[in-house]
Amino acid sequence: MINEKIKKIYNGKIERIEKVAQTSYYIEINCQVPVEVKAGQFVTVYCSGLTLRRPFSVFSNDNGRIGILLKERGNGTKYLTSLKIGDNIDLIGPLGNQFNIEEKKSLLIGAGIGIAPISFLKKELDKKRIENCLAAGFLNKKEIPINIKVDKIYTDDGSNGEKGSVVDYLDELIKLYHPLPVLKTVANVGEKYCIATQISMEKVMACAIGVCRGCVINIKKNGSIVNAAVCKEGPVFNGSEVVWE
Amino acid sequence: MGIISSGILQTNLNGYILKNPIITASGTYGYNNEYSDFVNVSTLGAIVTKAITLEPREGNKGIRIAETKAGMINSIGLENVGIERFLEEKLKVLKDENIEFIMNIAGSTIREYVELAKICDENKIKAIEVNISCPNVKAGCLEFGTEENSLYELVNSVRNNYRGILIVKLTPNVTSIEKIAMAAQKAGADAISAINTLKGTQIKINCQNGEINKTIISGGYSGKGIKPIAVGAVMRIAQVVNIPIIGIGGIETLEDVLEFFAAGAEAVEIGTANFTHPNISETIIKELEEYVKINGFKDIEELKKELRS
Repeated sequence: MINEKIKKIYNGKIERIEKVAQTSYYIEINCQVPVEVKAGQFVTVYCSGLTLRRPFSVFSNDNGRIGILLKERGNGTKYLTSLKIGDNIDLIGPLGNQFNIEEKKSLLIGAGIGIAPISFLKKELDKKRIENCLAAGFLNKKEIPINIKVDKIYTDDGSNGEKGSVVDYLDELIKLYHPLPVLKTVANVGEKYCIATQISMEKVMACAIGVCRGCVINIKKNGSIVNAAVCKEGPVFNGSEVVWE
Repeated sequence: MGIISSGILQTNLNGYILKNPIITASGTYGYNNEYSDFVNVSTLGAIVTKAITLEPREGNKGIRIAETKAGMINSIGLENVGIERFLEEKLKVLKDENIEFIMNIAGSTIREYVELAKICDENKIKAIEVNISCPNVKAGCLEFGTEENSLYELVNSVRNNYRGILIVKLTPNVTSIEKIAMAAQKAGADAISAINTLKGTQIKINCQNGEINKTIISGGYSGKGIKPIAVGAVMRIAQVVNIPIIGIGGIETLEDVLEFFAAGAEAVEIGTANFTHPNISETIIKELEEYVKINGFKDIEELKKELRS
């Protein structure tokens, strides 16, 4: 019997699990999430035997199915990539805030596995027919997920697209994500050109709902510097308010 | 929906009556209804609020969380809104939503604890848990919890200024937790909760092309790895005091709860496991109620008695 009081926890089933780049995977979970998931939001999944759930930005959301992109990095991601189609997965979400979508031309910046929420944002913008350009940076061509649509590609070794880091090419930007040096550069360039930026931040999380204060970053608010939990007040922040470490 | 309370889980902590013995631990459950997306918070025995200090605190800088093989390390540093905002903003939700709560208080000096105790008394806060054992703040707190004379003085001062249920939360980072527990009882505590986190450190080493990068986090170690230490502590405390004990440490399942009962705990607090499974508390209450019924016990008191015989 489903307890109507209990929201946001889903016992999902893996419908697709595919290797989409040298070290990256796409996992599609059928969990019949009854609410619309917004670009920038994330989910957490339970990884058997591990204490902390792992947060992942939502990459796709169709017909109650949540898609995530992940890079094999530690115990959590290794567990997830060992799962098979039909396996159950305990999922919570959607959590966190979202990108603020505006009716104006938007430049989207993503790098590495951080492409996931930006790719989702692009789909949303395309649906709304908002002009956009997704510029994505990767280490090399083997790291580019085969299931993403990007407008401009940059690779560190020049094996696909232009050679160099995506941030070398920035002069106008609006939305972006991960990793920190990219984020910080984008925020700074945005400030230089007086362009509003929104940044999706990442931090190790425990509760993922704002109570434990484990994932706080410093932000500027009303002239002072205060703590903000990435999981609750974020993960999307205005580039101008983030205090970089 | 939720849990149908038939009263068989009713728990008595020295006159503080809870509908069941499942409590959620301080620092893992927010201030009031933050978990209402996952459970019906009012069905829990009680929640313990995040530690409240006189003034708001920003907490520690740098990395605050690290997962370990059997749990986690946290170094939050008592970030909280302070007593004023707690009373103004958080208390109302607790009352409106009928959430049973124990207020966790922390300070750096006896004067601060006394001040907090007076405010709790004035505001008729039914129960407080005195945090004398936070390992993540430099001054006070833990020091009171590790030396029986200063602990006695602190608890006694709080007692003289607070008429509600006074619970003292003990640290395991001591030579003899029994002596500390006896001092708390002598000073007038109504109950003891044990244990708080253990002091721990994780050094993450990353080597790339011969260049070593270290990430160090020191703080309070919690989670399933500390359970045997906690059960042992509860058992030893139970042998030297006659006030009720609330067992805390690595509880994730019904079996864990039973183990704490067997060791002498009257109730338990669930902490880290709330992060893993945010509905774990409600699940365990249901399982506990079923367990009592299926095994033919009259109520939870009879179960505890059997577990200890």
